[in-house]
Amino acid sequence: MKRRDFLKGLMSASCMAIGSTSLLSPLNALAAPRGRDEWLTTGSHFGAFKIRRKNGVIAEVKPFELDKYPTDMIKGIKGLVYNPSRIRYPMVRLDFYKNGHKSNTAERGDFRFVRVTWDEALQLFKESLDEIQTKYGPSGLHAGQTGWRATGQLHSSTSHMQRAVSMHGNFVKKIGDYSTGAGQTILPYVLGSTEVYAQGTSWPLILKNTKTLILWSNDPVKNLQVGWNAETHESFGYLAELKAKVAKGEIRVISIDPVETKTQAYLGCERLYINPQTDVAMMLAIAYELYQQKLYDAEFVKGYSLGFEDFLPYLLGKTDNTPKTPEWAEAICGVSAATIRDLAKVMVQDRTQIMMGWCIQRQQHGEQPYWMAAVLATMIGQIGLPGGGISYGHHYSSIGVPATSAAAPGAFPRNLDEGKKPLFDSNDFKGASSTIPVARWVDAILEPGKTIDANGSRVTFPDIKMMVFSGNNPWNHHQDRNRMKQAFQKLEAVVTIDVNWTATARFSDIVLPACTTLERNDIDVYGSYANRGILAMHKMVEPLFDSLSDFEIFTRFAAILGREQEYTRGMNEMQWIEQLYNECREANKAKYPMPDFATFWKEGYVHFGEGEEWTRHADFRADPEINPLGTPSGLIEIFSRKIAAFNYDDCPGHPMWMEKKERSHGGPGSDKHPLWLQSCHPDQRLHSQMCESEEYRATYTVKGREPVYISPEDAKARGVKDGDIVRVFNDRGQLLAGAVISKRFPKGVIRIHEGAWYGPVGKDGSKEGGSEIGALCSYGDPNTLTMDIGTSKLAQACAAYTCLVDFEKFEGKLPEVSSFTGPVEVTL
Amino acid sequence: MKWFSSLWQTLGKPALTLSLGFIAISAFIMGIVFWGGFNTALEATNTEEFCISCHSMESKPYQELQQTVHWSNHSGVRATCPDCHVPHDWSRKIARKMEASHDVWGWLFQTVNTDEKFEAKRLEMASREWKRFDRDNSLACKNCHDYKSMKWDSMSPLAQKQMKRAAEIDQSCIDCHKGIAHKLPDMGTARAPELIAEVGSGVTPSVGESYFSALTKPLYLDATSTEEAGTLNVATKVKVLETKGKRVKVAIEGWRKRIGAGRVIYFDFGVNILSAELSLDAAKTQNLIRTFEEKQDPMTGLMWERVEADIWTDADYLLGDIAPLWSYAKTTYSSSCSVCHTQPEEAHFDANTWPGMFQGMLAFVNMDQDTQALVQKYLQEHSATFNKDAH
Repeated sequence: MKRRDFLKGLMSASCMAIGSTSLLSPLNALAAPRGRDEWLTTGSHFGAFKIRRKNGVIAEVKPFELDKYPTDMIKGIKGLVYNPSRIRYPMVRLDFYKNGHKSNTAERGDFRFVRVTWDEALQLFKESLDEIQTKYGPSGLHAGQTGWRATGQLHSSTSHMQRAVSMHGNFVKKIGDYSTGAGQTILPYVLGSTEVYAQGTSWPLILKNTKTLILWSNDPVKNLQVGWNAETHESFGYLAELKAKVAKGEIRVISIDPVETKTQAYLGCERLYINPQTDVAMMLAIAYELYQQKLYDAEFVKGYSLGFEDFLPYLLGKTDNTPKTPEWAEAICGVSAATIRDLAKVMVQDRTQIMMGWCIQRQQHGEQPYWMAAVLATMIGQIGLPGGGISYGHHYSSIGVPATSAAAPGAFPRNLDEGKKPLFDSNDFKGASSTIPVARWVDAILEPGKTIDANGSRVTFPDIKMMVFSGNNPWNHHQDRNRMKQAFQKLEAVVTIDVNWTATARFSDIVLPACTTLERNDIDVYGSYANRGILAMHKMVEPLFDSLSDFEIFTRFAAILGREQEYTRGMNEMQWIEQLYNECREANKAKYPMPDFATFWKEGYVHFGEGEEWTRHADFRADPEINPLGTPSGLIEIFSRKIAAFNYDDCPGHPMWMEKKERSHGGPGSDKHPLWLQSCHPDQRLHSQMCESEEYRATYTVKGREPVYISPEDAKARGVKDGDIVRVFNDRGQLLAGAVISKRFPKGVIRIHEGAWYGPVGKDGSKEGGSEIGALCSYGDPNTLTMDIGTSKLAQACAAYTCLVDFEKFEGKLPEVSSFTGPVEVTL
Repeated sequence: MKWFSSLWQTLGKPALTLSLGFIAISAFIMGIVFWGGFNTALEATNTEEFCISCHSMESKPYQELQQTVHWSNHSGVRATCPDCHVPHDWSRKIARKMEASHDVWGWLFQTVNTDEKFEAKRLEMASREWKRFDRDNSLACKNCHDYKSMKWDSMSPLAQKQMKRAAEIDQSCIDCHKGIAHKLPDMGTARAPELIAEVGSGVTPSVGESYFSALTKPLYLDATSTEEAGTLNVATKVKVLETKGKRVKVAIEGWRKRIGAGRVIYFDFGVNILSAELSLDAAKTQNLIRTFEEKQDPMTGLMWERVEADIWTDADYLLGDIAPLWSYAKTTYSSSCSVCHTQPEEAHFDANTWPGMFQGMLAFVNMDQDTQALVQKYLQEHSATFNKDAH
């Protein structure tokens, strides 16, 4: 061989090695940051993005090419990574560090923490679990309270926490959730499915067939901005078409709501004002009118439902001497009898689609409006027709966008592998229930051993001594902060794994820093319910400070338990992502061919193409015998003998109007605190996520405080001007917020979006004083004021919407906002 | 032809000058030479080169093999055509060779010389090979792969579970690993492949015995008609009354609601666990459904009636034991339904509440129709209705 040929050969060989790094180099090299200045792909609840990284930091965020309707929240993405609320190091509450399980728990929330190493923190975590399992057994530990996490199928924080803690021992779990607790419990009895989390009729069919669209307490333009997986906002294309049809008079949209919603303002549609919490009265009156005027579809009621005859005596007033006439309803709901009669006619004259929002089931007796709306839709008789009937989820996670039938990637396992047992394998819950309704855990801490009714069974509260939270902020979503403080004083240990110093972290003993989605690699489906494609979630920057990915945190924890290999199944981050991808590729090979993993990871996504149009309940309508609903009878149950057999005073066998504990506009309690507090899902956050994004938060806050939306009348009566700081209060608590006076809100109604970070300060205005019962929230968390009661004995769900308050101009010395700057670090 | 008759005459004469020993030794040597030649020729047909010398073998099965782990793997061991397709044992090898002469016919008449023709016959050809593997319990695989030498710990939990079960009963490898070296034929009903891989495609049913359906199966009015008379739901118990060809006549016992045409048969009184659905015609057919006592369900006010339907179905996908179905359903439930939230205990809801909860959560779950039906039935049959102590 000549020297020249040898060199040529060597050169081509090295060229090959460079050209094919993606195939030959280890997967970790593939995942590592590439060039110095490049666009990478990722996704989040807020949208899918292309992100430009320059010199190791995030320089620019733009929407993913297939997201045609990105939201304003894209401006907040960078601030999710770079903000002063980030937990930088593992930390332990001062007195817990000194005294462990015998610490002074009244100090919890005083925000004084000591920095520790990861090894120390995880060891303390493990020792706490040991102590609880030894002393109390599994009923002493609640690690089942889970929340919205960050997106990504591998790093999903609740799965990691529960798999790891399950290796140690058993624990109390929850059933249901805070968003749809009443709805997901009542609707299986009535329509045979949770409905709230089920696919809905496709938007193109609604746009084509619907003539009247009723948005009942529903604000899709606000709520479709975020999704359970990477959201690509295709619903907004259909909403734009709807807007055009409203303008041309082709579809009549009526928003039934106490306030002028974002959706109503966007569509330019009609509004029908109704007093808060009185929807059932109005629905009953519509049913009364439909029945008396014989406008209802008697054939449909007979063929597809059960129990109409058992409901009629109540409707007609034979059981309670109160016929549910439009005049009767007018006095309660504030809608004129004539308008109710007119609406009844409108609903049956052409194709009518009713779209229910979730807010009205987050109130006392929240089961009733959902049940009664289903009765109305049954009487209208269009369930199962394209563009007709009723839906409970068109404002959520791309429901209604024609879905592909592709398989989505699986996830890191939440459960122990088959046949594996926890180190502490006791299942002795000491006579208490191992599963409790999601919103009743604070009741359980306060009153262990108490037995309550829940969905046909009896639940006995376990004596909870320790809680573990991961990617979950109950100090946002639970009600009544001062009651929570009392409960937390009874806990021996609280562990929180989070990205930020949320209020939950503030009230914890051991706090572990997780990194954000932008600091790790992952994989997700995009388009949520529509399942439009698979998204690569590229790591943009290395984890900040001492933070670690959820996978890494719990791999280290499993190592302390001696179960690291079992935990990871011997795979690292990129091997897991590749396996999740390959399993998905295998499942899709017949219908949705996907490229190999290296190609996908380089391209950033795989798109599945167009979805298929679909009508909810069409199969049931076509043949109710073969396609029965999931109800006991298989039919729509207007009267449920099963619920009636439970004998609950607050949820009888058919939908019923019941007065609330607190109700504005002349209802109970309105003489003392006349204003109804609407604490709906935020417009510029996902619950409490993104509140920490500083620059973006500044675009909507008022003097650094959460806005409170007030009607001009209520503001005037209290001498409050736009931009004033007000104190909002009732007997349960008090908060400061910034007044935004808006004509979109009627007299007697104020709004503070939930998800505003709780920032209690003491009477002296200090952070440390935040542990006091009755402390003032310096930022404006509405759940400082809400009531912690169950919707009824059926669902026992969150009832935040039953809440009256008042406000005044705040004249005292304005305390600093204490929500966003992390703890008072104590050096020993 | 004169030389031939003279040779024949010569050969017909007894040996006059050759000793018996010489003749015997010569015959022995000649025998060795002939046998060697035959064997060499036989072995020549037993090489990869020979197999792929025919175009249709080279262009399809051989190309497909090259994409699989049997061709290229980290240990560098390769399985070639005869390793899997020719038995090692002599008499069976000869039988296989006789059988394979059929391929020469195919080559002569060009039965599979185009892509279309090959694909059209793929299922038939594959089925023949699968049957052969069935007959010798996948001996060709087991020449290299031995259950006893498998290292369980290095397998994924699911693989462990499936392989251990297979090892216990020395299961035929091909039961689950069809398509491992060549493209899987389009089987029309390639339904729930993972489920069938775990539970198998059924046993040969005997009259008088009870079985459980491994898939949702079509029902027929008689042993030959192709018109479907309804469906038998997955994991439903049936008793075989009669067998005829590829069909069996089964008895489905259960209860039905006295509404509509009475087309749906449920597992038990007042419990919405689906057993079978009949077509309108079938429901009206005389003597198909025998009816017994009636009862009112207090939870709905509906009247129910005990029934037995005697109806035909295909003889495949009938299992002798329900345990593998429940085991598959339990694993699927626990992994698929914990992606978004902790999956509720099976006994958290009763049998009639599960369909509403399960169907209302399905949008995010990847399950084919059969698996969905199976998991729902698993949840219902393990619900609070049947498990009173749990909560």
